[in-house]
Amino acid sequence: MLLDSLAVDAEAFAARTGWEAKPEGLCRGEVCVPAPGAVRADGHLDVTIVAERLGMPLVHDDVYGLWALGPAAGGRTLASADAPELTLPLVDGSGSWSLSSMRGRRTILVAWASW
Amino acid sequence: MWQALHAEIAPRGGAVVTVALDVLADRAAPWVEAAAPSHPSVLDASHLTDELLGFVNVPMAVWVDEHGRIVRPAERASIDPPPPDAPLPEGLPERLGRMMVEVRKIPRDGPVYRAAILDWVARGADSPYALSPDTVVARSAERPEAHARAAACFELGHALFQRGGTEAAAPWWREAHRSHPENWTYKRQAWTLVTTTDGQPSDLIQGPNDVYEGNWLDDVVAGGGGDRYYPERVL
Repeated sequence: MLLDSLAVDAEAFAARTGWEAKPEGLCRGEVCVPAPGAVRADGHLDVTIVAERLGMPLVHDDVYGLWALGPAAGGRTLASADAPELTLPLVDGSGSWSLSSMRGRRTILVAWASW
Repeated sequence: MWQALHAEIAPRGGAVVTVALDVLADRAAPWVEAAAPSHPSVLDASHLTDELLGFVNVPMAVWVDEHGRIVRPAERASIDPPPPDAPLPEGLPERLGRMMVEVRKIPRDGPVYRAAILDWVARGADSPYALSPDTVVARSAERPEAHARAAACFELGHALFQRGGTEAAAPWWREAHRSHPENWTYKRQAWTLVTTTDGQPSDLIQGPNDVYEGNWLDDVVAGGGGDRYYPERVL
């Protein structure tokens, strides 16, 4: 998750990672991790605390002043079989597409590349 | 190939969605225009699907059922019939010849995978190829700290590539390569954006270059050869 500061909007964080800020901590599904101090007074999440509590690597480029927060380490790539929400632009630039729009169809999502 | 499959399965409730793992949209677009797909064809410039779904090479696929549940995690996904096993042409450049040897070791069972897709589209959860939720999670790739760090480094490199080109991106993409060497999308993506040491466009054979430590042939051999180019797949 790309960041230009060490505070992140809680909803944007949840949409990308599946981890929601709740009174009991940071939660994904039935799993909650205590994270005292993670929710700042302005409602944003403190990325440093979130990264440490969830085991997410945080990298920073000094020249461009950007951070990237990686996925939680440990376990498997898929935390559950529920497909994550995924929204990407169409290659032809005509709009965007969301995986949830495929509900009702058996879908093969294929990765390819020009290289 | 994927458009033909989509045309075959769409009337039966199936669909193909292709995801181009390409930093530069204008490199993917001509391929899409040529294929003229009737299915969604989307661009994943930052390789987000690597992180969310576990793609590490192409082609790989994830199967998602009509309820939004993954029934097969990321896996090798060629559906092409194998090419004729003809002798290698004489006079190939030495490096290209060695590459072809490794390419021919990659499992060539496209029709088997295609048949599995057709079976699942027809039978849904009754298909033996549709896995239980627990099996899907268990078969998805492990994510050690190094792989999680690689995902962060690649995404940061992508953002910097947009701002400062290869010079800005390369330190982070090199780190992504070192942290997750089995992820070929991170490596091949980066290699294809630089030229080789002999000045050839790198996307031709992705040979040695002055920017990144690896290259296609040497990395494939170091990883055990073409037969280990993709994670093992169990149908």
